[in-house]
Amino acid sequence: MVEVAREPETSIEPPRPKSRRSRVVAGVVLLLLLVLLPLSRPVVGPTFHYLMQMATIALMWVTLATSWNLIGGYAGYISLGNNVFFGVGGYLAAALLVYQGWSPFLTAPLAGLVGLVLGLIVGLITLRTRGPAFIIATVALLLMAALVFDNWELVGGANGLSLPLPGYPREWARVPFYAGMALTALGSTWLSWKVAHSKLGLGLRALAQDETKAEVLGIDTRRYKIVAYALSAVFPAVAGAIWGYSLTYVRPSVFFTISIAAQMVLMAIIGGRGTVAGPVVGAILLVTVNEVSVARFGSSELNIVVTGIILIIVLLFFPLGIVGSLRQRRKLPAFLDWD
Amino acid sequence: MIQTLILGVLLGGVYALMASGLTLLFGVMRIVNLAHGAFMVVAAYIAFFLFTELGVDPFVSLVVTMPTMFLIGVVVYRTLFPRLEGSDRYSEMTVLLTFGLALIIEGILGYVFTGIFRSTNPSYNTDAFLIGDLFIPKGQLYGSVASLVLILALWLFLNHTKTGYAITALTQNRTAAQIVGVNVLRTSTISFGIGMALAGAAGSLLSYLFTFFPGQHWQWIALLLSLIVLGGLGSLAGAVVGSLLLAVLAAFVSQWLGSTWSPLTFYLALFAILLVRPQGLFGEKEAV
Repeated sequence: MVEVAREPETSIEPPRPKSRRSRVVAGVVLLLLLVLLPLSRPVVGPTFHYLMQMATIALMWVTLATSWNLIGGYAGYISLGNNVFFGVGGYLAAALLVYQGWSPFLTAPLAGLVGLVLGLIVGLITLRTRGPAFIIATVALLLMAALVFDNWELVGGANGLSLPLPGYPREWARVPFYAGMALTALGSTWLSWKVAHSKLGLGLRALAQDETKAEVLGIDTRRYKIVAYALSAVFPAVAGAIWGYSLTYVRPSVFFTISIAAQMVLMAIIGGRGTVAGPVVGAILLVTVNEVSVARFGSSELNIVVTGIILIIVLLFFPLGIVGSLRQRRKLPAFLDWD
Repeated sequence: MIQTLILGVLLGGVYALMASGLTLLFGVMRIVNLAHGAFMVVAAYIAFFLFTELGVDPFVSLVVTMPTMFLIGVVVYRTLFPRLEGSDRYSEMTVLLTFGLALIIEGILGYVFTGIFRSTNPSYNTDAFLIGDLFIPKGQLYGSVASLVLILALWLFLNHTKTGYAITALTQNRTAAQIVGVNVLRTSTISFGIGMALAGAAGSLLSYLFTFFPGQHWQWIALLLSLIVLGGLGSLAGAVVGSLLLAVLAAFVSQWLGSTWSPLTFYLALFAILLVRPQGLFGEKEAV
């Protein structure tokens, strides 16, 4: 490898003084917005269902991208199979509903716990390697999960499971899913913030820059990576539980596709990997772009092409993402500076 | 028993060809080419249309697919990869880059050719040699032999030509190779082209050995990546041994549990090797 001196991709410069107040204000405004959105029904009228559905989808992607960022951003270990945990959570909650009658809203935390344990086990195996072999293992994990769920008769094989309708009052039918997903997204963002401001986060950023040097400094890199990976599995599983219920069915093609993995990665990278606000910004941006492009072109094939092109352009020209690039130029507005 | 072994070995030969290009790219340039399967499928479509429109035999189509893919490879390498050079985590960056590339190819193929399953059907494809009560499908035999010839040619090229030496030098130490006067950009471009040409050859064979459709390349790439991780990333010998080993194993799994589960062999082998020997059978510790 040719050694070239260059700007580090994720910087660990000491936090510079910034206005604390504007961040608190931004947080309060965001929270208020999330709480007030369901109350907008009398104002927006018949588009209310659509609004709730879009918000739920956006919050789901915020959860997925933010969680991916824990391992892919902070630790710099790119995982192309983290939607496995999303799917396992969805299937677990669905199976418990179908066979036991337990509401996914109650079993969602359980799904998160299972995600954590599964993430720990997978991490123990896949994180024995550095770099490319890890990525390859995550791709294999995803295709393996797709194969298993496609052929597992207990959960309906490729047809999946149909879930009983929840029976909420019609006009508020989407609100519980919205609320659940909002809590999940808040949880994952909180976790991301917590990790970024902990010794764990510092260690992860150090090993993202130079793993050997981090090791020399006495950081137990392997344990740090595995913890980050396991944490990145928790909230996707919770989101999967709620998402499956809101669709009223679970099916391998809903969870275990490469394109979901691609979207997670893309959102985090566009927003800015290794930052707290980045994946949130990226998720909201891409959900909006997708919605517009599907409405306009209506073709999923072209949508894949657009996803690929955006990924390549961002990688080559804006590897730091929106939040990262703005911060580098010291132009990041204080309300987006969550680190 | 012996029958399953034969079928496994024949398939393994073809897998080895598919994996050789992939492992070459990693060995020489530390590029993990997630688009390798997608490029194979592109070549398979070329071979398919040459066969159905012009009646060109898949083996003859190698003459078209290999140079075409070589050129595409040169263009792709020159436009996309030099920008990433010197990045902290070059390999990871190349994964994401080729991931994007694979998505673009898949989308375009899906848009142009739709998701219909295709396959060329030359006359020898359904024919077989019978030796005693053993059954040797002609198509797979020819494919396997062609693959081994190409791999041998690659090996001879790497070990007996000046460009081959330069490529090998890059594999061993990029900086040192540059110091002794290897033109790194030119050599890298040629290697990438060769890797793509091998994908092209694999695509021609794929066009009659398997049915294919645009989204199928993910299964191929996962299978091939498992093979080269097992063999040791970047090792040509490892790719060949890994391919033969896993293809035989998968053939037996397929016989015992049904063909649905045979891909699982590759994924489980990948996780097993990561547990036991993360650098792979033929890999050096540093390469991982």
